[in-house]
Parts: sequence; C-alpha cells; structure tokens
Amino acid sequence: MTPGQIALRALIVGFIVSFAIITGFAYTTLLERKVLARLQHRVGPNRAGYIPLPRRGGGPERKLLAGFLQPAADAVKLFFKEDMTPGKVDRITYTLAPMITVMPAIILLAVIPWAGEITIFGAEFTPYFAIAPGLNVAVLFLLAITSISVYGVVLAGWASNSKYAILGGIRASAQMISYELALGLTVLIPIMLADSMNLGDIVAAQANGWFVFRQPLAAIVFFIGMMAELQRAPFDLLEAEQELSAGFNVEYSGMRFGMFFMAEYMKMIIFSAIIVVLFFGGYRGPFVDQLPGLGFLYMILKIIFFLFMMIWIRASFPRFRYDQLMGLGWKRLLPISVFNFIIVAVFIVLQEEGVFDSLLKLLGVG
Amino acid sequence: MSEMILDDQPQDDGTAVNQNPVERAAALLKERFPDAVTDDTRDGYTGLMVSADKLVEVATALRDDIGFDYLSSVTGVDQINDNKMEVVYHTYSIDQGGSGLVLHVQVDRDNPVLPSLTPIWPGADFQEREAWDLLGIHFDGHHDLRRILTWDGFAGHPLRKDWKEVFYEEDHKPFGSRWPGGEVFRAEEKTVYGKNVRYPEGWLPTGDEYDVETEMYTGITYTRDQQSGMKTDKLTVNMGPQHPSTHGVFRMVVTLDGETVIDLKPVMGYLHRNHEKIGERNTFIQNLPYTDRLDYLSSMSNNHGYVLAVEKLLGSTVPERAEWIRILMVELTRICNHMWALGFLLNDLGALQTPMLYFYLERELILDFFEEAAGSRMMCNYMRFGGVAYDLPDYVREQETISFLEELIYEHIPAVLDQGDGLMTNNEIVRARSIGVGILSREDAIAYSTAGPVLRASGAQYDVRRAEPYSYYESLDFDIPVRYNGDIYDRYLIRMDEMRQSLRILEQVLPHIKATKGAPIVDGKPQYAIRMPNAGESYGRVENPKGELGYYVTTRRRESNPDRYHVRAPSFINLTPLGKMCEGHKVADIVAILGSIDIVLGEVDR
Repeated sequence: MTPGQIALRALIVGFIVSFAIITGFAYTTLLERKVLARLQHRVGPNRAGYIPLPRRGGGPERKLLAGFLQPAADAVKLFFKEDMTPGKVDRITYTLAPMITVMPAIILLAVIPWAGEITIFGAEFTPYFAIAPGLNVAVLFLLAITSISVYGVVLAGWASNSKYAILGGIRASAQMISYELALGLTVLIPIMLADSMNLGDIVAAQANGWFVFRQPLAAIVFFIGMMAELQRAPFDLLEAEQELSAGFNVEYSGMRFGMFFMAEYMKMIIFSAIIVVLFFGGYRGPFVDQLPGLGFLYMILKIIFFLFMMIWIRASFPRFRYDQLMGLGWKRLLPISVFNFIIVAVFIVLQEEGVFDSLLKLLGVG
Repeated sequence: MSEMILDDQPQDDGTAVNQNPVERAAALLKERFPDAVTDDTRDGYTGLMVSADKLVEVATALRDDIGFDYLSSVTGVDQINDNKMEVVYHTYSIDQGGSGLVLHVQVDRDNPVLPSLTPIWPGADFQEREAWDLLGIHFDGHHDLRRILTWDGFAGHPLRKDWKEVFYEEDHKPFGSRWPGGEVFRAEEKTVYGKNVRYPEGWLPTGDEYDVETEMYTGITYTRDQQSGMKTDKLTVNMGPQHPSTHGVFRMVVTLDGETVIDLKPVMGYLHRNHEKIGERNTFIQNLPYTDRLDYLSSMSNNHGYVLAVEKLLGSTVPERAEWIRILMVELTRICNHMWALGFLLNDLGALQTPMLYFYLERELILDFFEEAAGSRMMCNYMRFGGVAYDLPDYVREQETISFLEELIYEHIPAVLDQGDGLMTNNEIVRARSIGVGILSREDAIAYSTAGPVLRASGAQYDVRRAEPYSYYESLDFDIPVRYNGDIYDRYLIRMDEMRQSLRILEQVLPHIKATKGAPIVDGKPQYAIRMPNAGESYGRVENPKGELGYYVTTRRRESNPDRYHVRAPSFINLTPLGKMCEGHKVADIVAILGSIDIVLGEVDR
C-alpha cells in the first residue's frame, strides 16, 4: 500500500472508531446509571425516550427500553448550559485543561485492535483492524499517552483557583505516580509472554490460552491499577464528592464539565479494551478465525463485561483514604508487580536456555 | 456480643436513710460551702442555688469528689421580674445514674458575668456560647466567647425578655404582638436592616475580628515552616455551608497541612430560627409541632421529651395503652434514625448511597406506619399531654396493623440488619477507613458532655432509659450496648447493636399493644388550652436516637405559655469535641467523623 492509501484507511477507520466511541461513551453513562440503579433498588433514568408497546386489552402501554434517549438529553443539556468561567481563574489553562484531558483519551484509540485481519467491502485491513495497525511499540504508546491525561486534571485543579479543586489536583498527581509504576511493570508481562510490543502479536499469542490464565496475578494488579488510573471508585479520590464536593472539576460547568466526564467514560471503554487485549484474548473467541467479523462482537462483549465490573465495584465499596491509597500502590502493588515481573523474566530466560528441558531429561520424564 | 454488659440491675445504694444520691450530694455541697450553696426555695423549683463567685469550686467538688461528672445541660434564663439572669446547670453521674443535681446560679441582670465552666467541663463550650449569644450572659474565662447561633453582626440578645422581635415589636406575648392596635404588618413592609438589626459598635462585615475568617478569605497563605526548613503552605478550607457531606448547612473551618487537619472549627447557625423564642411565644400545645422540626428524622422522640417535661409540670398521668404506643413509636423512630445514620455514614465513607438505599426499603415501611398512625411521615406531631393524639390505625398498607408490625419487627427489620451486617461490618475498606479514626476517650466523651451512641461507643454505659427510666422502660428487658474504642467503627457498631436492642423492646411491647386494644389513649379529656396550675421548672429528658434530648421548661402560675423553653439538643452538644476528634486526621476522615456523630441541623441550629 502506498502511504496515501494507508493515511486514507487510517482516516476512515479513525472516523468510524471515534464516532463509535463517542456513542459508546454516551451509552456507558446510561449503562452506569441503569446498573447502579438496579444495584440500589432504584429504577434509574426512564423518562427520556421509550418504545411504546400497546398492551393487549387496553390499559397503559408498556414502555420498552425506557430511558434510551437519556444520553442525548444529557448532551443537549450540557451543550446549552451556560458555560461559566469564574472570575479569578487562570483563563488559558482553565480553558485548555478539559481539552488536555479529552485528547489523550481519543489518541489512545489509535492502537486498539478491534478485530483481526479482515476484508470489508474489498478493503483489506492488515495485520488487524485499528486506526494505526502495525505500530510496533503500541504498548509503550499507550503508557506514554495515558500519563499525559493526568496533566489535564492537575491543571484543571490548579487553574480553577479553588481550594477543593487544588486538593483534587494534588490528589490526582499523587495517585497517578503511585499507580503508574505498578501498571507499567504489569504491562511488561504480556509483552514478555508474547515477545512483542505489538498489540496484534499479543492478541495472536493468546490463541492457545488467554494470558489471564497464565498470569492471573498480573491481570488482577492491572485491573486495580487501571481503576486507579481511571479514577473509578474506590479510587475516585480526586473527585470525591463527599469530601471535596467535586474535586478538580468543581469550578467547571456546561460542556467543559462534560468534557471531563467524556474523558473519564471514554477512558473506561479504552482501558477495558486494553485489559481485554493484554489479558483476555482481545478479539479472539470461538470461530473468529473462520469469521473475522466476530472479532468486533467479542471485543464489545468483553468491554461491556469490564464496564459492568467497574460499575459493580463502584456500587459496592466505600472509598479509600488518600494515604491508604498510596500505601496500597507503593507498599502492596508495586512489590507484587516487581516480584512477579522478575519471576516471569527468570522463567522465560530459563525456558529459552533450555534449562527446563534438560532438567526434565535429567529426571527422566521428558 | 461479648462487649455488651448487662445493666438490668438498678444500682443499690446501701441502706442509709439519705440514700438518694442527689440529696446526698446536695447535703455534701451545702456542708462544704455553707455560704455559697443553699436550697432553691422558689415554688416549684428543685436543686441548689449557688453563688456565682464560688461556682467553679462547687463544680470542681461536684465532679471530682461527689461523682456528678457529667454536665448535661447549661441553660440561661432571663428572670426579668427579679432583675436577675439565671444559669441552670444539670449535672448527672455517669456511674450511678439516677436523677440529676440542678444548680441555679443567679447574677445581676444588668451585668451578667459568670465564671466559665469550660475548664472543668469542656462540654459547656458551645452551650455557654449559646447562652452568651441568646441571653447576653458573659462567661468569664471562656476561651472563645463568640456568637454561635445568630450571625456576628446581630445586635442584641434575642432571648432576653425585653428584646424586641424583628417584625412584631410588642411587649405582650404570645399573641398580642402580631396585631398591634388591630393593625397588621406584613414582613415585607418592614426592613430587616432597619432599627431592629444593627451592626454592633465597631463591627465590619469584612473586619479582621476573627483570625480564622481572615485567613479563609485571603486564600492560600504562603508561610515558611522554619523548624523543618520545608516550604509548606497551610490551607484554610471552608467546608460548608454548601457541601454535600455536612448533613445540612453546617460549616467547618478546616486548616490543613497538606491533607492533614491541624485545626477545625465548627460554625453553625445557618438554620437558626430561634426555636426557643418561638417556644416562649407559643402556648404549650402549640409547641408540639415545632418540636418535630428539631431533629426532623425522629420527630416521635422529640415529642416524647417535650410531653414528659410538660406532664411533669401538669402532674398528669398517662394511660397504659398510650405509654405502650409511645414506646412503640419511639423505638421504631430509633431504628429509623439509626438506619439513616448508618446509611449516611457509609455514604460519607464513599459508598455511593448503596447501603442507605438498602436500608430505605424497611425505613419506608416504618414511615408508612407513622403516616397511617399520625397522618404524617416525618413531622408526626403525634403525642399529647397525657397520651397520644390518635389510636393506632386498623390497617397499614392494607394489612392489619398488628400483623403488619409483627412482620416488620420479626421479619423485615432483622433481615435488613443481617444484610447490612454482612455487607458492611466486615468490609475491608470500611474497617480500614473507620478503625482507629476519630477516637474519643471515655474521659473526653464524658467531659465533653456527649450523649447517646457517641458516649456509649467510648465506653460509658449511660442511657437515660436505664439511668433515669421514664415511661415503662424500667419493666422492659433490654441491654445497653457499649463499646470501648470510641472510634468511627465503634460508633457504627453501637448503632447496629442498638437497633437490635430496640427490636427486643418492640417484641415485648407488641403483646401489650394487642392486650390493651380499645383502652383509652388520653388521660381524661384531651387538654389543648392549658393553664399551668403551678409555677415551677421541669426537665424532661429522653434517650433520643442521637443522645439525651432534654427540655427545660419553666412557667409561672396560670400561664398558658412557657416562661423559658430550652432544648438540650444532642446533635448540638455532640459537636463540641468535633475539632478535637478530627485533629491529625485526613480531610476524608472529617466527613466520616461528622457522619459518625450523626447530626441533624434542625436540632443543632434550632
């Protein structure tokens, strides 16, 4: 393919994926509200939009999918709400901060593989269906971009000129530092197992078994670190409603406020996709080799599973305290991931050197 | 349940003739301070009259030597006819229980200065500030004698009898003032900032009178910590009055070093409506619905305390069925309130309302029952002097009342308590967040006059239902749960225990309710317009879900409205040690500690 073709293809895929993720983000909010409501003996949003089904023999009609237009209503509300800027904020930073938060979330999309090698309307997507397939340092790219998004939060907290906001911003930076190390070390494990930083290779290496079965500990640490990275409960310290009223976004309103939420929910989807790719076989599933289109379905189902897990956890657990959270990050997760990393590395080297084979031979088993 | 101690045996005080501990204490005090302490000989009054200059010595002796170590209530009274200002102290003994020793101190009305009792009982802190605020009684030696309920710019002391009310300037109360000369003034026609409310001399809204406030509005102060050599900024954050976790319009001025609290000052009064002044204007029966609005989550208990106080003055008796109904209502209220308290405590810990909403299902049933019985779900206004307003309904939610209550008490509530226990009590994060946080030692809990679950979680087994039994509590079989660590977790557990004990009480009450069906619920004719037969004071105290709720009511002969009507609000006084409890903890702990105290602002601000 010529570079022009590659660019065009990336543009088309990028358009599709971005559009899908924005719709997905909107419906993730609805999923969250509905699931939370169900977990709390409530009904959840059920007014905006429904499919009326007439009841046999009269009576009030049944309402199917009540509330499915709620995200649209929310978006309209956010767009038309007055976007207030408080008097003494640092205007440039204040305006930039929500953008800095949202952009990495969208950039992260570039490397996520949504399906395997596939031909759609004669267009071939190799080696996998993504905006930028074949980026051989994809995992590194993910880690790098993820770290940027915290700047948005910190800057929002600082620029708002509010004490709650700055406390939220400080918490954000401390939290990111505590968790990114453990997260980064855990990410190395799939890389070592697959012997590649290319996400397509990592998925392909899981054809005979997901990495979660070989490295459950790493998957668990990654999941915890991921929730801390996403600022999801029980690690939602920086917007802890009960303590800081809203934390870093307390001075934002209208769509700027909405952008923080957009970033949060988009990152929820993307990180679910990342953990699926790294540990849960990515787009692989039954019959995916015969019918590569199924990859999209598997990917989406697995993402929804992780979204549900995160919502479930949010409804179930109280929040950690600032110092407890950092203690967990530095004193528990970091040592665990370091040792796990060393053990895996040693075993891989031993295996490559043939030590196990000779040991087995020595014992007369192999 | 190993931590619980049975307290079923009343204290046996030996065989001395003078065996009442209150009388003994009074005799001892009179013996030791013959000049300063005399009996209060006024008609209808009890207790001792203490002279102001010996007050501190008397209080010290009372606390240390005689064992009345618990200062429950400090009340200022304006005795305008004698040109005196009076302060009434209610002291109790935590270990012995029993009724309290009442100290009356009278000072000159034109220059009311008393020694402050805060060095002896730090719990007098807010109450003395309240007396200063509302009555202008100056407490010498109080470390921070500022206004507490009204705003800083308020002129005058509204509970003084000669203070003119803002809109209705009349001397005669209760009703004369509303239509002066047959002319009606509407509130809008008079300005608040007219002659009624003035800035005090030298007071500026932006003034630098209070250090904390100044620091608060100048933002982050850049100070260098010289000792450690590190550049540290102390941050003063205004938590509240608009804050999701202050349970209402409550403000905490928090000074932070990083995330660590180094100082916390509660600021209250945003919901102040001068309940006590309104109480003096109203007739006795008119006050009942107002008491609902104090602790608006447990209106039944509020009613109970008030009717007890007035019944003491009236000398009326309550028929058996009414007493059982009262206990039924009050214990259901306790369960209701603790469910709410625990739900919100977990919410303050960040559990996103899930526990609260789980408890709501059963709380809803209780409220439905209240609605059927009293006509209102929360503002019940159900009790009357000498009984209750209505008999129990026949049906609740289309079910017979007794079977509804049986189902509730034997099935629904135990089930939800077990569920809550299973989901929350051993949750790792709940334990990590609450064990060892906000510790209040037994000595502090008593000295700070805390009451209710806060006091009992700190190891003091004191419950008015056992210490000074009212109603039929003496004949009921239940335990007073007690925990010893005094942290958030113990305050959580004690509420769980108390709900189970309330269930035990309810199980014993139900047969009596069944047996007395059809019996009268009011003694004699319902008494609406009451004129007090005798002058006197009375103090009705009940164990509200939040602690000891006391109503101090004084009246003159043939009066139809109280001369002084004071509420000893447990939420208000339990807040006194808040700053001490929060010191050294993190920001996140503040809201959890506040949640574990369980306040309702309607009662704090009154």
